[in-house]
Amino acid sequence: MSTLHIPPLAPEVIFHVGRFPVTNTMVNVWLAMGIFLGMGIILRRSLSLRPGKLQNFFEYILESVLGYFDQVTGNRRQTIRFLPISGSIFFFILLSNWLGLLPGVGSITFNHELLLRSANTDLNLTVAMALTSVIVSHLFGFFTVGVFTHLNKFIQLGTIAKSFRQGPIAIFSAVIEFGVGIIEIAGEFAKVLSLSLRLFGNIFAGEVLLTVMASLFSFLLPTPFMLLELLVGLIQAAVFAILSLVYMTVMSSAPHGAEEH
Amino acid sequence: MSNIAYAAEGTTETESADTGVLASLGINGTLFTAQLINFTIIAGILWFLILKPLTKKLAERQKMIDDSIANSKKVQENLAKSEQHFQQRVDEAKVEANKVVERATQEAEKMGATMKTKAKQEIELLVDQAKRNFSIERDEMRAAVKTEAAEMITVALQKILAEKMTEKKDKELIAEMIKKME
Repeated sequence: MSTLHIPPLAPEVIFHVGRFPVTNTMVNVWLAMGIFLGMGIILRRSLSLRPGKLQNFFEYILESVLGYFDQVTGNRRQTIRFLPISGSIFFFILLSNWLGLLPGVGSITFNHELLLRSANTDLNLTVAMALTSVIVSHLFGFFTVGVFTHLNKFIQLGTIAKSFRQGPIAIFSAVIEFGVGIIEIAGEFAKVLSLSLRLFGNIFAGEVLLTVMASLFSFLLPTPFMLLELLVGLIQAAVFAILSLVYMTVMSSAPHGAEEH
Repeated sequence: MSNIAYAAEGTTETESADTGVLASLGINGTLFTAQLINFTIIAGILWFLILKPLTKKLAERQKMIDDSIANSKKVQENLAKSEQHFQQRVDEAKVEANKVVERATQEAEKMGATMKTKAKQEIELLVDQAKRNFSIERDEMRAAVKTEAAEMITVALQKILAEKMTEKKDKELIAEMIKKME
């Protein structure tokens, strides 16, 4: 049995650039960045109305993803509007999850630390993505339904002000709605937490599982778990992207009652 | 368990990872900012280099397909209209042709009748002329036959008379004739 090297929760700093620490998860992010950049440059050069094999492959994947996203947003226009965030999240998470399964990740060392580690086992990255997703969903809300209407979903002072003209029952329901708004604010923080911790937890757990299996018996034993991790990587990417899409769709729709008037 | 090495114990932790829940989870201000920037760059690359051009091409192709379908519908409609128009023209031409044939038949009948009449008249004229010619020739022949017959009779008479008349009788006859003529 080989030495069991359980990865820590925090990413390992492999070197410093000045005072800036460079972690092994960051190297994986840059790797993914390089792959996307290379793919993008190649794709842009060969892009035409009559697609080649590479373009066909990318179009097939994109069409499939757009089909799933359409089911959430309800129409293609909305899907394309949210695609810069939801699409980027999906493809980046998918690639970085699958990059974490490549040979060398978790085994090559640099300065006595692992050089490569799955990017999503860094909570800094998952929180950054979750925060971006939630903030962008609010920005969509501001631009689509208007700043005051959107803010009134959370701080329902407008509803309270209106209720004074409608009688005591309206005031009572406005106070309840105000309380619900406060809960909604807490819910926004919960969104960030749940998104980031779910992805981090799943990928980190997968990494630990693979490490344990590999240290128990290196040959063939980790294979089924690696296949499982391929699936987990896809599912987690889809879950994160679709939830982000749901948040953006919900935030850019008019609040209840607004369409009745 | 002695061979289990927890990497966290032996690694250099990030600067702020000293205490607290966030630090224990690896959350660090500098790293968070760096990852946020990384993600923003990746999102930019993905959107501007891959997703946007691809969606644009897909939309372009979709538009082209829609336009082609609309055009083909228009072409089909035009074709149907043209066929209808063509059929209408063919029908009109048929009617016109029937009229022309009818008119031609009538004119041919009329012309035939006229020519028949004309031919009849010409034939009658020819017959008349032939009749007249025949009658002239007959008269001429009759006259010629008469002359010939007279001459023959004269010759015959001369022969007969030459045998039976004497010179004396002949002279008397000539003299009588001269007398009559006077």
